[in-house]
Amino acid sequence: MSGAALAMAPRRRRVPGLWLGPLLLALAILAGAAIGETRLPLSTVLQTLANHLWQAGYPVDRIDAGIVWSYRLPRAIVAAACGAGLALSGLVLQALLRNPLADPYLMGLSAGASTGAVLVAVAGVGGGAITMSAGALAGAMAAFLAVVALAHAVSGGSGGGRATRAAAAIILAGIAGSQMFNALTAYVIARSANAEEARGLMFWLMGSLSGIRWQDVAPCVAVTVLGTGLCLWHRRGLDAFAFGADAAAALGINVRAMRGLLISATAAMVGVLVSKVGAIGFVGLVIPHAMRFLAGTRHDRLVPASAFAGAIFLVAADIVSRILVPGQVLPIGVITALVGAPAFAAILIRGAGR
Amino acid sequence: MSLELRSVSVSVHRRALLRDVSLALRPGECLGLVGPNGAGKSTLLRCLAGILRPQSGQILLDGQPLAALRARDRAQRIALVEQQAETAERLSVREAVALGRTPFLSPLRGWSAGDAQLVAEALAAVEMTAFADRLWHTLSGGERQRVHIARALAQTPQILILDEPSNHLDIRHQLALMALVQALPLTRVIALHDLNQAMGCDRLAMLDHGRLVALGPPAEVLSPARLAEVFGVAASLHAGPDGRPLLHFSRPL
Repeated sequence: MSGAALAMAPRRRRVPGLWLGPLLLALAILAGAAIGETRLPLSTVLQTLANHLWQAGYPVDRIDAGIVWSYRLPRAIVAAACGAGLALSGLVLQALLRNPLADPYLMGLSAGASTGAVLVAVAGVGGGAITMSAGALAGAMAAFLAVVALAHAVSGGSGGGRATRAAAAIILAGIAGSQMFNALTAYVIARSANAEEARGLMFWLMGSLSGIRWQDVAPCVAVTVLGTGLCLWHRRGLDAFAFGADAAAALGINVRAMRGLLISATAAMVGVLVSKVGAIGFVGLVIPHAMRFLAGTRHDRLVPASAFAGAIFLVAADIVSRILVPGQVLPIGVITALVGAPAFAAILIRGAGR
Repeated sequence: MSLELRSVSVSVHRRALLRDVSLALRPGECLGLVGPNGAGKSTLLRCLAGILRPQSGQILLDGQPLAALRARDRAQRIALVEQQAETAERLSVREAVALGRTPFLSPLRGWSAGDAQLVAEALAAVEMTAFADRLWHTLSGGERQRVHIARALAQTPQILILDEPSNHLDIRHQLALMALVQALPLTRVIALHDLNQAMGCDRLAMLDHGRLVALGPPAEVLSPARLAEVFGVAASLHAGPDGRPLLHFSRPL
């Protein structure tokens, strides 16, 4: 970062460099591979990695190696990708909609994505021609449009001075949307009349990383990396929304085009991630707000900070979900909600005091 | 740099906000915009700033349609200070002013020393240099308006558009802000509520129900007959102690 850029924000605590995020994330992923029902030493994890990555030939127990390589590692990587993607989605929605409570889960995007995914996977909509991810994407987009239209109707537009009402309206519309889409998901699953699939309802409502294998890693990592790149490319545009959409337009931002592009990208990210891990809540709400305190308001830092913090948070939440109740794996959404709901309350209280 | 409206009409939800308004800015002038609440002042300013497209009519910047210009090219020439734009972000004054450089930056062209210099100059122009590191939400209303003007100045525009910038400020800050705006060496368009402050502009445009009803020197536009007709007040024009004409309002009609 240049001297001039440093002079821009002298009173901000400097975020400890670009190395801290990747370092902590790597440690979290290693911990995710080591900790679980059978606890494995870090050396086993590292040796398994070395054996797979460059045929190091360490003697590792085959079962241990299988646990690390086939189950825990892809699971931790997908958790990281989901955490980053969901945190970024929240960040983008909060900036573009100028609403501190905007979040893919609260706004019903995740619920819509679940509905889209089960329509394809369980009810067979599309006859195999469209993938579950595409169904989830369409569901997320439909949910977003429905919720925003409803919120718009409730708050009577988004003009100046209506910000507080708009913030409340989007949450109320999000509740209506989430409930409806979750009910649709439950209905579709129940109609499929297959006990095996019916048990999957919990997966779509609370999220789960249990079924993750290596083939799920590539799509999750790809959408998250692409989404992060897109947000970084538009970082100044996101900054320009600080004083509202009109101010952004006056600063030369093509508001309509940018909202369209970044919200579509958000829906795509949420769609792909939800189709793999179900609806995990509150990451998109908690992480960006926490990062605003640590890294300031500028998106050149907020975007990478939120991505890394979200990734680390969800890997940690996954570890906790596996060890909190011995012999049982909790849905990961339970852990994120236990952390996120109180944080949500704190944001509400702070907003009311403003 | 010339900016011109040609028979511009705007309606929202089938309600006409501007009807057939034609108006050309003169280079370097301070054009005041007056009219009762709901007369269409803000709508007109948003058209001039290029952030609202009229349903009919043309807006020309140097003879070219403003709508044909890329948003960032337009923002390099025209800056807008809205009425009371607020933020919940924990933004410092310097960061808020730095947003004015947005139209000159791109994903690949980063912040430079030249940008920092322009931000410093903009802060100095509004006498807010000492506040550069303060957070936005710790500022008073008058200070916030000054920062908004600094942000607009950091855009290095040829035309500055201000929407009732002195609204809600106490009288001292109103006068200070007006003196600041009067002294800027730019083409300015400013919507004003206080008609005596409007007397200080080079020309005035008066709107009523979306129509341009008068355009000319302040003392002519603000004639008692027109004030009675448009604002519904009884007013008389006097010579003030400093020799400038002063309006006195006696009662609603």
